Amino acid sequence: MKIPANFAFSQNNLQDYVDCPRRFELRYLEKLAWPAIRSEPILAVERHMQLGERFHRMIQQNQSGLPADLIGATASEPELIEWWQAYLSSAPDPLPERRLVEHTLAAPFGSYRLVAKYDLLAITPGERALIVDWKTSLRKPKRQILSSRIQTRLYPFLLTEAGKSLNNGIAFKPEQIELIYWFTADPRNPEHFPYSSNQYEEDRSYLQNLIADAVNASDTNFPLTGDERMCRYCNFRSLCDRGEGAGEMETDSLAEESSESSGYDLDFEQISEIAF
Amino acid sequence: METFAYTPSQEQVIAAPLTESMFVSGPPGCGKTSAAVGRLRQIIDQGIPAESILILTPQRSLAAPYARETSRPDLPAGGLPTIVTLGGLAQRTLQLFWPAIAGSSGFRRPDLPPTYLTLETAQYYMAKVAAPLFDRGFFEQLVIDRNRLYSQILDNLNKAAVVGFAHTDISSRLKNAWIGKPEQLIHYEQAQECANLFRSYCLENNLLDFSLQIELFAQQLWPSHLVRQYLSNQYRHLIYDNIEEDVPVAHDMVREWLPAFESSLLTFDQGAGYRAFLGADPADAELLCGYCDQTLEFSQSFVTQPALQELGSAFTSILLSKPEKTVTPRALTAYSFEPSRFYPEMIDWVAAEVARLVQEEQVPPGEIAIVSPFLSDSLRHSLMHRLQGHGVLARSHRPSRSLRDEPAARCLLTLARMAHPLWDLPVATPDLRAALLQTISGIDLVRADLIASMLFSTRDKQAPLNSFDLVKPGMQERITFSIGERFMRLRAWLSRYMEAEPVELDVFLARLFGELLAQPGYGFHDDYEAARVTARLIESVQKFRRATEVTSQASGLSIGQEYLKMVADGVIAAQYLQPVEEEQPDAVLVAPAYSFLMVNQPVRYQFWLDVGSQGWWERLYQPLTHPHVLSRRWQPEKAWTDVDDFSANQETLQRLTGGLIARCREHIYLCAARVNERGSEEKGPLLYGVQSLLRLARGLEAGRV
Ligand code: SF4
Repeated sequence: MKIPANFAFSQNNLQDYVDCPRRFELRYLEKLAWPAIRSEPILAVERHMQLGERFHRMIQQNQSGLPADLIGATASEPELIEWWQAYLSSAPDPLPERRLVEHTLAAPFGSYRLVAKYDLLAITPGERALIVDWKTSLRKPKRQILSSRIQTRLYPFLLTEAGKSLNNGIAFKPEQIELIYWFTADPRNPEHFPYSSNQYEEDRSYLQNLIADAVNASDTNFPLTGDERMCRYCNFRSLCDRGEGAGEMETDSLAEESSESSGYDLDFEQISEIAF
Repeated sequence: METFAYTPSQEQVIAAPLTESMFVSGPPGCGKTSAAVGRLRQIIDQGIPAESILILTPQRSLAAPYARETSRPDLPAGGLPTIVTLGGLAQRTLQLFWPAIAGSSGFRRPDLPPTYLTLETAQYYMAKVAAPLFDRGFFEQLVIDRNRLYSQILDNLNKAAVVGFAHTDISSRLKNAWIGKPEQLIHYEQAQECANLFRSYCLENNLLDFSLQIELFAQQLWPSHLVRQYLSNQYRHLIYDNIEEDVPVAHDMVREWLPAFESSLLTFDQGAGYRAFLGADPADAELLCGYCDQTLEFSQSFVTQPALQELGSAFTSILLSKPEKTVTPRALTAYSFEPSRFYPEMIDWVAAEVARLVQEEQVPPGEIAIVSPFLSDSLRHSLMHRLQGHGVLARSHRPSRSLRDEPAARCLLTLARMAHPLWDLPVATPDLRAALLQTISGIDLVRADLIASMLFSTRDKQAPLNSFDLVKPGMQERITFSIGERFMRLRAWLSRYMEAEPVELDVFLARLFGELLAQPGYGFHDDYEAARVTARLIESVQKFRRATEVTSQASGLSIGQEYLKMVADGVIAAQYLQPVEEEQPDAVLVAPAYSFLMVNQPVRYQFWLDVGSQGWWERLYQPLTHPHVLSRRWQPEKAWTDVDDFSANQETLQRLTGGLIARCREHIYLCAARVNERGSEEKGPLLYGVQSLLRLARGLEAGRV
């Protein structure tokens, strides 16, 4: 199936393309609703996700100027209280003054667009820009895995490309940008990824090649992944004849590494992005 | 940007300085939205941060041109504008500032996050609160489905919120205007009591229905300095399109907000206000004109030819009973009147004529719309079926569809009932037969019937399906072994499930789908539409579960059981809103007239179905509510008379027909059936209008006009 002219490549859809081109086609081009369970135990996965969403909202409230004690009082679940305490005591600090929460940036890229929604951008115009991403996964992934994620490449790259209006009309230099992953599972040890011109160039050609590859596939076909472990956490497994039951989230680290998505085929991140 | 040329007036709007507030009005189709989209692009191209632009529309479908523009690949790099409705803005702001206002808003547990109710879950809670009152004899004299009464009470609450009066004043407004039988006054009081109880229940349980979201936004958040500052910092430029379709509290907010924007552009569609029954107030919208620096009026339509414009004027003069009724020769070429004797004959004729246009005159199917005041399932089905028979691609647009009517959803709910014998929701043999037809690939009605009648036990609820091995070999052969094997896998899946602890209904459905029904050999495996319906059903159950978790303990029923019971009682129809399609396929649109207007996409040809129907004119029978009396235009002490009723209906019809004509480029087919869908003869005011038009036309031909 052809990629429409107004298609925007994001970390979610590019990661899906990397994990399985067919999944990319089914999910983003055909927009096929296939409501099988992605990972089990589904209700625990769902609860974890909801807490994650609430935690993100609490941070958004805090960064928008609401007092921390007022926000903290809305958490009654033990995990959420613990995460909140961890955020208050160990969130990256000091952060540059200007804060943009849940901020979306987009930029033309070849014939298409790149888009990303940032948890937090903290900026000192003319000096530096920090991208902070709050991670609520059960375990902190290895640095090596994080560095290979599309998000780690796309977020700083896109900020360089599209951040001009946040920096007095001048594009950020890659060296002014840093990406920080902060983990509720290990709040004192965030992972820092300082950006550089070399990395920027590398990411540009990586993303160009990846998108060219997807466009190519759209002219021929989107193959099923060769790594069948991916199918354990994919809702399309019955369609592709790749098994019946969903994989277990807790017992398999691949689940956390390969996907932060919900246990269902209902993409909450997308829903909240497009909510009217 | 589109490469078409703008008119000087459009250019003026697009290039206006970024310090001005502008009010642009004009008839539909004169390029106001195109100019606004052009201005949006101009603002972004000038380097203004796109995230500082707020685009407000009264309904999501009206925002489609802006969503298209902001997803173009050549849009400059940077942020994105916010495209939102009042409801969306209220919900976003509430989510963010809940901790700041919950304590002062009367909620019992301000320390807990709220639950946002959908149409369905609000209806569920209304039923929960009001059912005991109904059992005590409330609304006894009203012969109308209880669920429709629930939704009217909710509608009253919504009207109070969007018009901006206290919800406790609903009954006094309705009573003051009432001059009919005195029993009705008691119904208004009872409706008020239900509304009050519902509101208290929401406050007690941190539930936010639409009315409470709007009320909290308008009365608590918007006046707050913190919120005002947050919103003003965030948004510096405003584009507010189709303000005539929005509600008074949205207008109030924009009126107060206008001075804080660096620039603003408001567009007003003259003669519209189709969402009046939802609280839209065009007269109130027009007042915003006085708060803008500059006013512009567009007059030239890019859509309608002079012939259609003249047809529109002729209709207006007839429907509004103007003393001077005229029709021009040109107007006569813009329509044709197609009478049929019976309803099916009319449908056949419409389908054949559409096919002729597409196949012989090469009209793209997407340039044709078939509209009617309501679109019943049977009408939709027969039209789609006939068009398909002619090889014409068609799509239907209804604001919502009921999942109960979808065979895939019925199949899933049957299997759910069977898998949960303790819920005591029995399955009948025909239900199972229908479910087998959906479930097992390659099965036909005869085989499904054989299996259902031989292997299904309505008595043994713990093991309702018997083994295929019990069937005599000759019969097994007739049913075929492959179907037998699939049936046995279904049986095994269900018994494995029934032996274990039951799970939530949505989880059950998702597992059933993924592990069995969508596997090779089963009916949902390559049926994308069935998968879509399943996804909607699961979403509906899931939302229901999440919204009722907090209050479910009291009933003693499991949430899944409660859901199925509510669906069976019709309290919730498992309805879902049709998503707005960004890419419109090239297909004939079959839609209720109001939905067509809200999609706002002109076409070359329109077919108006059953112009004799009263539905074109009359409001639905709603004994507990009244869109006019509950509007801001209404003077609270006035009585609503038959004269008011007649002129309101006449005005609605004029507005509706005017709106349709303004969205037609070439020709309108006025289709009538002497005997309507229900088998009776109906001559509504639109038909009288058409007849007057025909008389004028005959007079013209005879040289008398
Ligand atoms: S099931 Fe496997 S092959 Fe199929 S889309 Fe999912 S990951 Fe790809």
